[in-house]
Amino acid sequence: MTYSYINPREKTLITSELKLLFIFFFITIIMLLMTYLFLTYKNYSFKQEHINIEKTKQNLTEDLNEMNSDIKFIEKQSAVSKKIFTQNTVLKDSITNMFDLVPERITLSEAKLLKNGLILYGITPNKDVYNFMLQAPLRSIFHNTYSSFYPAQNGWLFFVSKNYIEDDISEDDSNEH
Amino acid sequence: MNIEVSRQNLYLLILSVILLIFVLFFSFLVLIPQGKQYREKRVQIKKEEGELKVQKNYNNDTTEVLKTLRNENKNIIASFANTFDAKRFKKLHGGYFSELVILKTPDEYKKDNFSVYSVKAVSKINSPKTFYNFLDAINKTEWIISINFPIDFKRDGEVISSTFTMKVYSNAVDSNLSK
Repeated sequence: MTYSYINPREKTLITSELKLLFIFFFITIIMLLMTYLFLTYKNYSFKQEHINIEKTKQNLTEDLNEMNSDIKFIEKQSAVSKKIFTQNTVLKDSITNMFDLVPERITLSEAKLLKNGLILYGITPNKDVYNFMLQAPLRSIFHNTYSSFYPAQNGWLFFVSKNYIEDDISEDDSNEH
Repeated sequence: MNIEVSRQNLYLLILSVILLIFVLFFSFLVLIPQGKQYREKRVQIKKEEGELKVQKNYNNDTTEVLKTLRNENKNIIASFANTFDAKRFKKLHGGYFSELVILKTPDEYKKDNFSVYSVKAVSKINSPKTFYNFLDAINKTEWIISINFPIDFKRDGEVISSTFTMKVYSNAVDSNLSK
C-alpha cells in the first residue's frame, strides 16, 4: 500500500547541492593550484635567468678586462715603438749634422757620439782653421768644449775635441747608461 | 525563535566554511607571497637584462676599438712578437755594410714590461750616407730596434769602421739569441 502518489526520492550522501559545492571548490582549488604552479615555475625560471645573466655578466667583465689590458698593451707598444722610431730619426739627424759640421780642410780620424757629448779626433792644417771652422760651431751647440793639439809629422796638428752638453762630463765615455 | 536547519544543510555549511578557510589560507599564506616574489623578480630581471644589454653594447664597442687598434698596429705588434735573429738581421741589413758582426751582450733587462736586450754591432761602411740609409731601414725592419749611444766611427783606410749598440725590444725574453 502506498501513501504517496510520487515515488520516494532516493537518499544519497552526495546531494546535488553538495555536488555543486564540490564542483565550485574543485574549480577554485584547481585555479589556485595552477596559479601557484605558474608562479613557482616563473620564480624558478627567473632564478635560472638571474644565474645565467650573472654568468654572462661575469664572462663579459672578464672579456672586457682582457680586452682593456690588450688595448693598454698595444697602446704601450705603439707608444714605445714611436718613441724608438723618433729616437732613431733624431740620431740620424745628429750624425748628419755632425758630419756636415766638419769642414773640408779638417780630416776626422775618429768620432765618438755620446749621450751627452761628442768626441772628435782628427787632423787640422793649423789651430786657426780648427778654431774658426770647427770649434766655433761646436761651441754654439755644446756647453763645454775642450780641445788639445799635438803636432803631426807633416807639420799639421792632430786634435782631440771633447764637447759636452751641460756639466755632465763623464770620465767613462763608453758608459751609456 | 527556532531555526530549523536540516542535517544535510548543516554539513553543507560546515564543508563550505572549511573549504573557504582553506582557500583563504592558501591564498594569503602561499599565493600572495609567491606573487609578490614573482613581481619583484620580474622587475629585477628586467633591470638586469637592461644592464646586460648595456654591458654587451660596451663590450661590442671595446671589441671594435681593439680590432681597429690591432689593424692599425699590426706591424708593430708583429715586430714586438718577433725574436731577434742575428742571421736574419745580417741578411736584411748586411747590404748596407761591407762587414757586419753582431755580438750578443749580457745586458738584458725589463723596461715598461718589455724585454730589452742589447746587441753590439761592429761594422764597416763606405760612407756615412750608407749609415743614414741603414738608420732609415731600421725603422721598417722586422724588430723594434733602437740605435743607442755611444756610436764610434773610426777611419780605417778607405772605409769607416763603426761600432754601436742596438737595443732590441721584445714581448718575450729570448734565451736563444743567436750569436
